[in-house]
Amino acid sequence: MPELPLLLEILLKIGMVVSPLLLAVAYATYAERKVIGYIQVRIGPNRVGPRGWLQPIADAVKLLTKEIILPRQANRYLFLLAPVLALVPALAVWAVIPFSDGWVIADINAALLYVLALSSLGVYGIILAGWASNSKYALLGAMRSAAQMVSYEIAMGFALVGVLMAAGSLHLGQIVSAQQGGIWHWYWLPLLPLFVVYFIAGVAETNRAPFDVPEGESEIVAGFHVEYSGMAFALFFLAEYANMILIAALTALLFLGGWLSPFEGLLPEAAFALPVIGWLLGPGIHWLLLKTAFFLFVFFWLRATFPRYRYDQLMRLGWKVLIPVTLVWIVVIGLAIGFNLGPWFS
Amino acid sequence: MTLELAVFYGFAAVLVLASLLMITVRNPVHAALSLVAAFFAAAVLWVLLEAEFLGIVLVLVYVGAVMVLFLFVVMTLDLNVSQLREGFVRYLPIGGLVALVMGAGMIWVLTRETVFERTTPLRAGADYNNTLAIGQVLYTEYVYPFEIAAVILLVAVIAAITLTLDPRRRRTSKSIDPAEAVKVRAKDRIKMVDLRQK
Amino acid sequence: MLEQYLPILIFLGVALVVGVLPLVLGGVLGPQRPDAAKSAPYECGFEAFEDARMRFDVRFYLVAIVFIVFDLEIAFLFPWAVALGDLGWFGLASMGVFLAVLVVGFIYEWRRGALEWA
Repeated sequence: MPELPLLLEILLKIGMVVSPLLLAVAYATYAERKVIGYIQVRIGPNRVGPRGWLQPIADAVKLLTKEIILPRQANRYLFLLAPVLALVPALAVWAVIPFSDGWVIADINAALLYVLALSSLGVYGIILAGWASNSKYALLGAMRSAAQMVSYEIAMGFALVGVLMAAGSLHLGQIVSAQQGGIWHWYWLPLLPLFVVYFIAGVAETNRAPFDVPEGESEIVAGFHVEYSGMAFALFFLAEYANMILIAALTALLFLGGWLSPFEGLLPEAAFALPVIGWLLGPGIHWLLLKTAFFLFVFFWLRATFPRYRYDQLMRLGWKVLIPVTLVWIVVIGLAIGFNLGPWFS
Repeated sequence: MTLELAVFYGFAAVLVLASLLMITVRNPVHAALSLVAAFFAAAVLWVLLEAEFLGIVLVLVYVGAVMVLFLFVVMTLDLNVSQLREGFVRYLPIGGLVALVMGAGMIWVLTRETVFERTTPLRAGADYNNTLAIGQVLYTEYVYPFEIAAVILLVAVIAAITLTLDPRRRRTSKSIDPAEAVKVRAKDRIKMVDLRQK
Repeated sequence: MLEQYLPILIFLGVALVVGVLPLVLGGVLGPQRPDAAKSAPYECGFEAFEDARMRFDVRFYLVAIVFIVFDLEIAFLFPWAVALGDLGWFGLASMGVFLAVLVVGFIYEWRRGALEWA
């Protein structure tokens, strides 16, 4: 087959994205425990390896050697399919995420639409897990979770529409380059309400605190994954963290200029021409990673700070606050574009 | 391009198989999931025809939204299989008739040569943007169908609410309304009865 | 255009492998010693009574239906936002009417209490 080298190249690229991603997921769990530990004035994991650095490895090995328990009345195929269905979309979205100018596996025009479509599939893993377990807590958690994800997805979609209107493209690389021109041109400023809505909806979509009602341990033990153990449970964990990193990366790409440097236009041209410092100051993957890490930290920070929402409050926030805000802002952007309102929409 | 053909036949087979499974499997949840697989395979075929917007929207709307509702319903309803089978015999004549008409229609469409002439896919350039192409005509040239779609969606919302929400019984949960609770006075709850009489 | 979708198809395959492999490994490396208490559905230590697949509040279905409508609305907004530069005031106005009609539906929902979860 003539395409063989091409296929190998694609596989290599995928490996270059997936393996760091899985490593990042493992260390995100460590970072989370450390961050929350320090916020609560304790040190977090510190036994396995120096300063607890090997903790995620130990967790992985432990989960790997634990029994995968199949509940008695469970539908066994769907029970095992559910965690896979949760993980696949969480990973596959990364195919269209650019890491720097042109550093992307699949350079498609409809990238943002693809992201939205795949994140809408995440709900399958959860409802199937809940139903296949044939356990009351699992089904309750799954229904709550599905209704919640579905509600926040609308707010999220509307927020994305705002970004599209401003950038005029679904292509993630073009959305980033449309934000060129320094920190004041990044979309966090002209689209501030959408930026806030998008991040809140992202936290809710990933079922993270303070929106973790689906697994609220004080009321429905662990929600949709009560019956899961060992590697099957680990897959849900992986999917949740991969989604968290994705939301953080997307927020950075869509609203904080992605890989663009915040010093653009602030420093004299000569500064960017310096050998190493110039590269660090200029645009590049390091800025995207830094911004992503910041939003990930916010995820952990939120979990350590806020108590859990009540279910009716959560639905009210999604439907009665976030959706109207996004609708109003879409109209505002539409008018701003119609009147060529500068400096952003001219 | 041989790879393209291979992908086409692969997903076309998945589509046919999933559709057959959907109407033959006993368990309604399995049927719904087969339909999901069928939609997904259809989306891949659409993308192969360079209709990337439609393909992805098929996943977004049908798989991501419509099938979630189906699963909600199918998962929590206790369907009585024997009752369903009774219905099968009863509706067989009408169902057979509908199947016959649809089958005849399909054969009629497929045997006309013009169909294949018209459906030869156009190969667009590398910078072809399906979404942009739709956007440029949908809101200007086809503005009436577009607005009619809005009205249909409005009707759908109103119909759904009218069918599901019972106006006589607003509060369906047993939760306590704190505003009502604090207004309670002792005389609403305790009735003093004098037992000394009689 | 299609060559850009090939990596996505392969990525989906890789993701599937990454999803299935841990399950297989877990099944091989972990023990398999089920017993009655272990494989019983969790119900805080009680014996599970009645079937877990119960009927739900109708609001869950309503939320799913309303979600479909809004999802379609988003699907209509996407090409509009992309083509906005070429559409001019007419395009803005046609989407304005579209959104106005759907906001009527949203207000109706709100007033009828379809968004109440208390």
